[in-house]
Amino acid sequence: MLNSQQSDALRELGNIGAAHAATTLSTMLMTNIEMEVPEIYVIDIGKIHEHVSDEPAALVVFQITGEVSGGGYVLLHIPKNSVIRLTNAMLGMTDLERELTEMDQSALLEIGNIMVSAFLDAAATLLSIVMLPSPPSLVIDMPIAAFQSILAAQEYAQIDQVVIFRTELHSDQYKIASNLFLLPNKPMLDEIIGMLENLMK
Amino acid sequence: MQALNDQVVIVGIGEYHVGRTAMSSIGLGSCIGLVIHDPERDIGGLAHVMLPDSQGRTDRPAKYADTAVGLLVGEIGRQGSKPGALVAKIVGGASMFQSFSGNLNIGDRNIEAVKLQLKRSNIRIAAEETGGVQGRTIVYYPSDKGKISVKTADGTVRFI
Repeated sequence: MLNSQQSDALRELGNIGAAHAATTLSTMLMTNIEMEVPEIYVIDIGKIHEHVSDEPAALVVFQITGEVSGGGYVLLHIPKNSVIRLTNAMLGMTDLERELTEMDQSALLEIGNIMVSAFLDAAATLLSIVMLPSPPSLVIDMPIAAFQSILAAQEYAQIDQVVIFRTELHSDQYKIASNLFLLPNKPMLDEIIGMLENLMK
Repeated sequence: MQALNDQVVIVGIGEYHVGRTAMSSIGLGSCIGLVIHDPERDIGGLAHVMLPDSQGRTDRPAKYADTAVGLLVGEIGRQGSKPGALVAKIVGGASMFQSFSGNLNIGDRNIEAVKLQLKRSNIRIAAEETGGVQGRTIVYYPSDKGKISVKTADGTVRFI
């Protein structure tokens, strides 16, 4: 589905986007954010459970809209034990044993909005197009169930492989882990790859 | 499919397994975990159904509601079970996202399509846990009376 050159180009695109997202998180929390090297998986849909787990997490999900055809999603994934630490750091609270409230949910949506807007904006600027996130949807549940629902909603009847881009961002000071996922469908992937190949000519 | 600690066979999206060992589908969202069980022989199968309609495709019959029921009935029959003895249990078909376009209630459509096929095959639904907004991980135990454990993200585990 992707040759190694295309895979590298896509990784670089994601890398630039994720770096911008990391900067916004760093500004919001006023701390260093470390970023891992992005990974790109081309996987059979029957093997998704090997890459995405059912451990509860917060997922802020955006549809990609703008000057790009097909469909795609960006997901900010925050493991449940990082959620409280993240919203505490943002809201200036310290209690780790408290329940999640509407304020946490608002904070997660806001963090997601800012990070994903930065991610898409940086990627779109490189491609000289406009890409915008839809209004976000917040789910606190099993990540694999959410991924699977997104894939099914896109009617992946015709293809049996998916491309997943993932970057890990974490803060050592606050012990917060998070992942940015990019989940393009085939038409969107093909178009983005085409634009990247034009850039490299 | 892969074996997890020799005991549980993991059935991924669009896959199926038939036998007597425990089998599991992880994180069903809008997908359906379709179990067809033979209570007389403690054997059965699990299909991880993703979409309602195969539109004539035949390469992954467990992926689609309209082909998965016939597939399991045939495979269990090959192990010596009579169609009249079989019962079904279905789990999943959640709607985790309400606000996105393109999401044409795929969970509900999956539930409906699986039930239609079961009816056509004259297989009774012995238990179900479907719909709602939560993801579910299931483990099916053919040799323990066909019980299924259903786990949700809040840590609750129920048996059906």
